[in-house]
Amino acid sequence: MRVHQFHPTLAPGDAMSNHVFALRKKIRHWGYDSFAYAVEAKPGVADVRSYRRLFREVKPDDLLIVHFSMGSEVVDQLIKIPARRVLVYHNITPPEFFSGINPHAAAFDRLGLRQLARIAPAFELGIGVSEFNRRALAQAGYEETTRVPILLDWEHFAVPPNDAVLARWKGLRSVLLFVGRISPNKRQDDLVRMLAYYRRCIDPEAQLVLVGAFRDQPQFHARVVALIERLGLGGAVHFAGGVEDASLLAYYRAATAFVSLSEHEGFGVPLLEAMRFRLPVVAYNAAAIGETVGAAGVLLQERDLAETAEAAAMVGERTELREALVAAGEKRVLDFDPDKVAERTRQVLGI
Amino acid sequence: MGEQKPVDLDALMAEVRERIRIKREKGIYGPDVEALMRVPLPGGRRIFSEDLQDPLASLAEALDEEVEYDPRSRKPVVGPVITYARRIVISLVRWWMGAILERQERINRLLAAAYDYEGQMAPRFGSRLERLERDWKEWREHEVAANLHSVYFQARFGGDEPVIRRQSEAFVDLYKGRNRVLDLGSGRGIFLQLLKEHGIGGYGVDLDPRMVAQCREKGLEAHEVDALTHLRQVAAGSVDGLYARHLAEHILPGELVEILRACRRALAPGAPTVFITPNPKTLTVGAHTFWTDPQHLRPIPPDLFKFYLEVEGFTDVELRTFEPSERRLNEDVPAGPIRENVKLLNETLFGDRDYAVIGHAPK
Repeated sequence: MRVHQFHPTLAPGDAMSNHVFALRKKIRHWGYDSFAYAVEAKPGVADVRSYRRLFREVKPDDLLIVHFSMGSEVVDQLIKIPARRVLVYHNITPPEFFSGINPHAAAFDRLGLRQLARIAPAFELGIGVSEFNRRALAQAGYEETTRVPILLDWEHFAVPPNDAVLARWKGLRSVLLFVGRISPNKRQDDLVRMLAYYRRCIDPEAQLVLVGAFRDQPQFHARVVALIERLGLGGAVHFAGGVEDASLLAYYRAATAFVSLSEHEGFGVPLLEAMRFRLPVVAYNAAAIGETVGAAGVLLQERDLAETAEAAAMVGERTELREALVAAGEKRVLDFDPDKVAERTRQVLGI
Repeated sequence: MGEQKPVDLDALMAEVRERIRIKREKGIYGPDVEALMRVPLPGGRRIFSEDLQDPLASLAEALDEEVEYDPRSRKPVVGPVITYARRIVISLVRWWMGAILERQERINRLLAAAYDYEGQMAPRFGSRLERLERDWKEWREHEVAANLHSVYFQARFGGDEPVIRRQSEAFVDLYKGRNRVLDLGSGRGIFLQLLKEHGIGGYGVDLDPRMVAQCREKGLEAHEVDALTHLRQVAAGSVDGLYARHLAEHILPGELVEILRACRRALAPGAPTVFITPNPKTLTVGAHTFWTDPQHLRPIPPDLFKFYLEVEGFTDVELRTFEPSERRLNEDVPAGPIRENVKLLNETLFGDRDYAVIGHAPK
């Protein structure tokens, strides 16, 4: 038996792709042959096969894991391949977030959601990486569903943090960090508005660092930049773009709080990364964020920008509170221990 | 450090809100900052989650929206070819697209019609709701003639202090040795005064601040709060006696049941409980004097009141009538059917005007 994993695109630094590669590593470690396939492998990822090989290589007793986070015509073909088929759902951003901003993305997401429901009968099991996702699968018509968290691979963070990033940001009084693609559902625009309060009412020198690729949503990015200008926050918001692990690590180490106002996350890997690297988390409770953060961060039940800013300030200022949150965070990360998750994966896959 | 100490989020958020409040007070967080946080995302339409804040206005906008599509490609060299190809595809699928659009248009119109109210898209639900709430409140006030000046009313129809005192005295013995007797609707504090004189600990609650003030002037403990709220707030079992004179006829039957249920929690097991109310079994009361107080909602037949207490678990429930009618038919007639009839008429028309239902809190 061999285990094949497919996702339309595999890219470096992307939580979903990291999950695919981490799982492949584990499966190989268990003594099975395992491969990753994509329609498009972005520069920087190695050892990814073309999806076309799936049609030749997959044998009936093989296991085919389809990772689903977007619609793809290829998937309609893949489900015709005789094999054990399992779907891992990483969630699709509700199309409404893109309507009026990126109609193409909205239409694409809508197709993806329809496809997710249509292909349900082809899978013996639907795995949600969060309870939020598992429920979505059950609603889409998947009969057998279960939750297995994302398989995190901390090893690629085993690098020294980027010195330039540390030198630029470490030691400042207020550096608020958010990590995630620049996208309307992640509401970087509200983080900018929140910064307006922060600089007027808490610390006039406060900085907001937005780590995350902005190529996918150029329209939204351009509008957030325009908002920054309108609010007179030029120079206070730093778009770091997609960064390599050493820089990301340095941002986690240098920031004073991780702040999320995202309205839709299927899991929220950066929340756990922040905890792992001892950065307190302040997050608005939406979608899967609450179940990922647990009691290890300041989970905001109300969407109030002033409260968000004050909470972020308090976790930065109060040593005792900060240490309590850091300790709770480190403990929380253990709940998603890769070995435990791998064992659970193995168990639900029956391999 | 701090390994096991959980973070108290409620306390943290309370402090957060306090900080914001102080900043508002000092003017650091003013309308200018609020305006900054409300600046819309420039350069196009609001994003969806903002639309959701005012869905009706957004719906109206969306209905009028035209979907623009420019098939021209700006790519060098291949641009005209792409443009040509797109135009062909558009002409090929235009009937299908048209059918989809037609269906969507139908859905839009149906939706719009569903929200239409007198030619407007659900005009200001808020203001319509406000009007309803105002009407309802007004109705409740009119129902009990809340606009009638209660001081004048008290002077004309209110009970005479010595009479009330005499009536209340008959119940004081029930509370002997009790430390925390609650008088619901304590009014001028006549019963509280009696308790005090007999060395029984007690306090009252009343909705009328003037009544509460009068009690306090006499050195009696009284609080301005409604009965149900108070009963739900006090510690369980902390009240060891309950007295409520002329309260039940001012509230709806459901409210009375709620009060009895709250009593079960608030009262210590076995605590004596007395409710006094006009006795509608006496027809001159039920048909006449009961209604001389416009705040009376409905008369409660004694058997029904007894039943309420029994159902809620009160024990040894009994009825006691008092306050005989002043005028009665003369029963001094020869024995026989006429005297029996006169007696019956006296009972029915000129019986006792008030009754008490007495029970003990469930054990």
